[in-house]
Amino acid sequence: MLRTNYNASPPQIMHIDLNSCFATVEQQARPMLRGRPVAIMNRRTEHTMIVTCSYEAKAMGVKLGMRFRDAKKLCPELIGLESDPAKYRFVYHKLMDIMNDYSAHVRMKSIDEGVIDFSETTKVLQGRDIVDIGHEIKRRLKEEVGCAMRCNVGISTNRFLAKTAAGLHKPDGLDVLTSHNLRETFAGMELTDITGIAGRMERRLNAVGIYTPLQFLDADPVTLRKMVFKSICGDEWHQRLRGWEVDKRDFPMRTAGRQYVLEKFNLTHAEVLQRLHHLAESVGYKIRSQGKQARGVAVYARSRSTGYWHARHMASMPFFSNQAIYAQAAQLFANAPSDVKEIGVTCYELSDNTDPQLSLFGDELARERHITSALDEINSRYGSRTIHSANTLGTDMYVKQKIPFGSTRYL
Amino acid sequence: MNDETFMNERIDVVATFGVGLNPCTPVRFRRPSGRVIEITEIGLRHPTEQGKRMVHMFDVTDGGADYRLEFDSERLTWRLTMEGDHVEN
Repeated sequence: MLRTNYNASPPQIMHIDLNSCFATVEQQARPMLRGRPVAIMNRRTEHTMIVTCSYEAKAMGVKLGMRFRDAKKLCPELIGLESDPAKYRFVYHKLMDIMNDYSAHVRMKSIDEGVIDFSETTKVLQGRDIVDIGHEIKRRLKEEVGCAMRCNVGISTNRFLAKTAAGLHKPDGLDVLTSHNLRETFAGMELTDITGIAGRMERRLNAVGIYTPLQFLDADPVTLRKMVFKSICGDEWHQRLRGWEVDKRDFPMRTAGRQYVLEKFNLTHAEVLQRLHHLAESVGYKIRSQGKQARGVAVYARSRSTGYWHARHMASMPFFSNQAIYAQAAQLFANAPSDVKEIGVTCYELSDNTDPQLSLFGDELARERHITSALDEINSRYGSRTIHSANTLGTDMYVKQKIPFGSTRYL
Repeated sequence: MNDETFMNERIDVVATFGVGLNPCTPVRFRRPSGRVIEITEIGLRHPTEQGKRMVHMFDVTDGGADYRLEFDSERLTWRLTMEGDHVEN
């Protein structure tokens, strides 16, 4: 049943977003960088794309995704730093610890943002003003992590509007979005300022005469369902924009993958396979760390001459070991084009790795399971990749673990 | 690019251990060359697991350059692993 009115209940969802997270953490860690334009990249070369940049760099026109070389033309003083995942993970856990102090219903949405749901907290906390709690969290972040840390806080009646509120006054803002100031706030925004609306979706909305967030808010649910989104997503947007919660759900893990841009373009096929093997080991560890096994393997390659290439294979039995993943990936990769510049391995059709059904090959499976679990235990105790395939010896200096965007499963 | 210099120097460190949010605070350190550096601010301290060993990374500054000190909590040793200088004097 669609509700046509705005949600007028007290706002109890708080969205917290660290401002330019990686760059701010670097400026916190290295005081000499504060107030200077800083760009974070995953590799120390001029051709690498910028992952995050500080507000000082943004003010000079530097944008995420820009190549460092191009950004340097806009901002000659730009300082390029290689990302340091351990530091960002530490700050992520500190932020999560702070948020967990206020509610048991905390969901981290990515490494730099999370949501606190106060609707089911204790009466003691419910008695406090949520805006005060927002200011307290900002203060605690400075005290417990460092004085250069800033975050945006958005408070509203659902997750979507709370995130929208968190983006209103960057950096270091705190905004409350309710049914009273919703129209006024939307009046000052563009369609693409709305989370989830980018170029393609904007064109679909434009096609039915929706050009502003206010027109989107006033749109008829039937138009949204049947003409714009052509699914139930239209109804969800109708509710979401009015402050009703439709995003309180978790998505199961469906795939796990890893990609790598080759360090050189003239690697031999055997060297590319070594790196593919490294990725397969990494993906294997990822799925096992979540208690999963896979049935499908997909590989892709980007070639300088023929562009994007991919292949996939679905096995009859689930598998979980590095050896099984690599064997299939290498077989698929035999048909890959030459002069490759980027490769990737993904496992799909994931299922829980519970006690398997009895199989004719039970002994072999049990042996593989025991060996794999012993290797994982050793690697977890003595450091990642203490034991690995001899084929991937020496690939560590190239294929480094970076920050997984989006999912917080592996943090 | 950035002008970071990476190294692996054993250093002598004067540090205080107390209570509070940051119980361990390095105050000054001496490099193998004999140069003594007074720490004016600790930017960030984060622990990292190197296998079963816990190493605490201290990103510090003396007001002229940034340094990274690593304290191995198993071996009780300090190392200087990075120096970054962005001030053009």
